[in-house]
Amino acid sequence: MVALLGRGNQLITLDDVSKRYPNGTDALRDVDLEIDSGDFVFLVGSSGAGKSSLIRLLIREELPSSGRVWVDGQDVVRMKHSAVPKLRRRVGVVFQDFKLLPRKTVAENVGFALLVTGHSGEEAREETERALALVGLSQRRAHFPDQLSGGEKQRTAIARALVSRPKILIADEPTGNLDPVTSWEIIKLLVRVNELGTTLLMATHNAEIVNALRRRVVHLDHGMVVRDEREGQYAA
Amino acid sequence: MATTAAQGFWRNPVMSLASTFTIGLMLLLFAFFLATDRGLQAAVNVLESKVELALFLEDGARVSDVLDLRARIEADPAVSRVDYITKEQAMARLVDIAAKRPDIQIVDTSENPLQASLEVKLARAQDAPRVTAALREEIGKGVVSDVVDNPQVVDKLLTITRVLSFGGLAVLAMMLIVALFVIVNTIRIAVHARRDEIEIMKLVGATDWFVRWPFILEGMLVGALGAVAATAVVLVAAGPVMSAMVNFIEILPLSFGQTFVWQLVGSVFALALAVGGGGAMLSVRAHLAK
Repeated sequence: MVALLGRGNQLITLDDVSKRYPNGTDALRDVDLEIDSGDFVFLVGSSGAGKSSLIRLLIREELPSSGRVWVDGQDVVRMKHSAVPKLRRRVGVVFQDFKLLPRKTVAENVGFALLVTGHSGEEAREETERALALVGLSQRRAHFPDQLSGGEKQRTAIARALVSRPKILIADEPTGNLDPVTSWEIIKLLVRVNELGTTLLMATHNAEIVNALRRRVVHLDHGMVVRDEREGQYAA
Repeated sequence: MATTAAQGFWRNPVMSLASTFTIGLMLLLFAFFLATDRGLQAAVNVLESKVELALFLEDGARVSDVLDLRARIEADPAVSRVDYITKEQAMARLVDIAAKRPDIQIVDTSENPLQASLEVKLARAQDAPRVTAALREEIGKGVVSDVVDNPQVVDKLLTITRVLSFGGLAVLAMMLIVALFVIVNTIRIAVHARRDEIEIMKLVGATDWFVRWPFILEGMLVGALGAVAATAVVLVAAGPVMSAMVNFIEILPLSFGQTFVWQLVGSVFALALAVGGGGAMLSVRAHLAK
């Protein structure tokens, strides 16, 4: 069984994963989860249900207390520290608070992801233009984050996550800081990114969006997977 | 990357200049220590080459016994040379000395009261007590009447050298720790100012080394500026200080050649870059390990 894990169509596999923090909080308990290449998965649950902990395990910001995690065929738990940067280049991440650098322009924020991973300036420029075109921000490339709307900031963050052409895009509450109309713009963009072949895992509280899209829904409650439905709703 | 390092330096000028000053001071002390050590080393070498023991020989000693003793002394690795001074040679020397000094007058040379001797030159001053003790045992066996040595000067010099070496090293070590402490904190502030950037760099897959380099360069920049300041002070002060030192120990043929100056400057810069870069690395490593 173990030998087959991560070698089929699964891009993400969690096998009996638990995470207990030093303060005694059980963030995740016995989680089994498989996400296939090309999936669009909503990760739902109340605050503190374990969504962010699960995401941190996938990019190895944290290690599980027990269990195994595979991402794109790689054992995330046992990989060497030096292999972590390469893992993160294959997994793009978008956050609720955008995490943009205020003194860099839109294009610089996006290109930064390539420059710091050793790509040439020319390569970074080309890929940045491609990513900005995909998110519809080519006209805003020279603007600074404080000159952008919330939706534009999030689209910049998405462009930065996509610029290194990752296989997986993880979005942690990407619409949490946005109004309903802008939220829908972002969701449409993410659906498009998924249609172009990128696997999408999105943690959200937004019931309207989850119910409208009818994609796979994984529901976490107190660190456990309590529901996993192919065409799910926010609440059962 | 170099631009980022320079920006980091000027983002927090007070702290950067404070660390530059501390490193500069430490380096100045280091340069002074090197120069003093070199001077004392030269002084010790000169005096060591002059360390001599004299074995005064019994007037009735047989030449074969004297030559035998001489061969035994020469076999000791601590001994560099043994000269046999006959009674006549001793007298000739005395006459020479008297000719140069009006306070000494030789009135009667019909009888030669001076003893023949073996003059023993030592390779290293530290061995003088041991060799002297061994030779004293020869007194009263029919060949050697007395052994004369003059250990005080050498002993004193060796003590001064040791005290200065240990004391200098201790002060230098303390300065090194202070300099490291200041540089670690300067870089820690630089890291803190750029923590968001570092977080994003790590998220998008930058390697630890890519994150570290700008900070290490910033640390090295601080070190290099400290080295420039210390070198400037050394070069300005070198002339007067060295002539004072040479005057102070005027009997010694001391000179600090051009090679030594370059060695000094090279060592100062090497230490500066090592402390600056090393301190920065410690600082960033602690941050990355979080």
